Amino acid sequence: MIEVKNLTKRYGQNLALDRVSFTVEEGTIVGFLGPNGAGKTTTMNIITGYLSATSGEVTVSGKNILEEPNEVKKLIGYLPELPPLYMDMTVKEYLNFMYDLKKVKLPRQKHIQEICELVQISNVYHRLIGNLSKGYKQRVGIAQALLGNPPVLILDEPTVGLDPKQIIEIRTLIKNLGRNHTVILSSHILPEVQAVCERIIVVNKGRLVADGATDTLAHDLSQDHRLILRAEGPEREMVHEIQTLPHVVEVYSLGEREKGVFELSVESEPDADIRRDLFALLSRKGWPMMALKNTDLTLEDLFLQLTSSDAALHQENEMDQDPADLEEDLAEVPSETEKGGEDQ
Amino acid sequence: MIAICKREIRSFFNSPVGYVCIAALAALYGYYYYLVMAIGSTSYISAVYQTMFSFSMMIIPIITMKSMSDDQKNKTDQALLTAPVGVTSIVVGKFLACFFVFFVASTLGLLPAVAMSFFSSPSWGEIIGNYLGTLLYGGAMVSIGVFISSLTISQIIAAIGTFVVSVFLMYIDTLGGAVSSDAVATVVDWISFNNRYTTFTQGLFSISSTVFFLSVIAVFIFLTARRLESRRWI
Repeated sequence: MIEVKNLTKRYGQNLALDRVSFTVEEGTIVGFLGPNGAGKTTTMNIITGYLSATSGEVTVSGKNILEEPNEVKKLIGYLPELPPLYMDMTVKEYLNFMYDLKKVKLPRQKHIQEICELVQISNVYHRLIGNLSKGYKQRVGIAQALLGNPPVLILDEPTVGLDPKQIIEIRTLIKNLGRNHTVILSSHILPEVQAVCERIIVVNKGRLVADGATDTLAHDLSQDHRLILRAEGPEREMVHEIQTLPHVVEVYSLGEREKGVFELSVESEPDADIRRDLFALLSRKGWPMMALKNTDLTLEDLFLQLTSSDAALHQENEMDQDPADLEEDLAEVPSETEKGGEDQ
Repeated sequence: MIAICKREIRSFFNSPVGYVCIAALAALYGYYYYLVMAIGSTSYISAVYQTMFSFSMMIIPIITMKSMSDDQKNKTDQALLTAPVGVTSIVVGKFLACFFVFFVASTLGLLPAVAMSFFSSPSWGEIIGNYLGTLLYGGAMVSIGVFISSLTISQIIAAIGTFVVSVFLMYIDTLGGAVSSDAVATVVDWISFNNRYTTFTQGLFSISSTVFFLSVIAVFIFLTARRLESRRWI
């Protein structure tokens, strides 16, 4: 459905995208993950035809954005980072305008009404967009992207500015849309992407650093096989006993969390599941288990891993920049973030 | 194109800008008609339009200042540029909306003449000539204003930039007269809006002037479209 080949984008001296390639099959929800300034928005802007690439090409449904821009644009519904809303229009006027602009052929009133109900903005339909809260503005932005039922939806950080309830609603909405749409959404929140997407593409500093199914990617990347256990019992004895379980590599206490309840870090061998043995041991000893959880792979961890392994990979391929360049890149990241802030 | 034009026109009248510009021009038309009538007769009607030439050139920058710059500033250009419409349609839509405001103002400027026609018979040929000339130089100036607006994200800079250009075009004749070079004089004569417009004030319909103004419009619409396109290549 969407094919991105060797996409490179330079802003002057700054390399924003470096040979990014991926394909997205029809009917999948892909999460585009990366820290600020990684190239997520640039990639999306290129796919939608707002920006052009320095080199490389994008095809949607086999059509090239440069050769048939209008045909490709008809296939895509785009919610940019900052929803392109006219503050001096009411929601009604705006959606009707976008309907005309996108040359939608569906029955006007019915279609707009359906979308309003879907993103729940019917109650603000007659209000000025400039007076709406950020969450509502965001939803009007999503409504605008849905106009004309485009087969491809590209959503740049769709849940920014929404309250937790709305975030869940929008995620559910995106999941539902994913049944008959191809969706690319960007985020810098890992759990969000995990919750919604079937596939994750991770970009960092303009390079694609990982691409895979959501479940396996997080699992594969997680080289951390620790469990965090909270149990009531004598601290030293617990550490000692757990240490004797098979496949356990290292146990240490993280301290007393409640009175008489200690938190322990239990590291096991990769591919070994020690939870059952652990439970059996604790129950045998009469130490109540208060909590047990995996150490979640955070986005920070993910990036630390991906970027370090990425650098290693590039060194192997003898394609890596020299260390001075790398440092320069690192220094550039915060400045890009600032730039993004100013834009808004 | 029509959608964009409609939206832009609505936006003019959602804010006071449209009303103020139209009211100012219409009031000035009324005032100068009155002045000319007080001192002379309808045969001096061209004097009204000659004076209004300067005022129109001053008000057009206000009409066009936000046409392109606002979109860039509020990022609404993302909606336009990712919609299945060509850049030229976007620019033409914006141009038509700005021109519409000027058109309404100029047409309201005909009201005093209509009022006069109840009491005497004004020379309609001359008035219509003047009116057409006004629309033509107005259109050309609007297209220049839209282009300058596309160069910046600041409305103020767009307005001042366009204002400078219009003042330059208004006084270029005097400038040409000051330089004793035939080449310069020819060039000045060629690009002078005032000279081209003067034919119309005599109640003459000049094909060459019409073509000149229409060409200016076409060129600046083209340049604005290129400018919009070039932003994708930064």
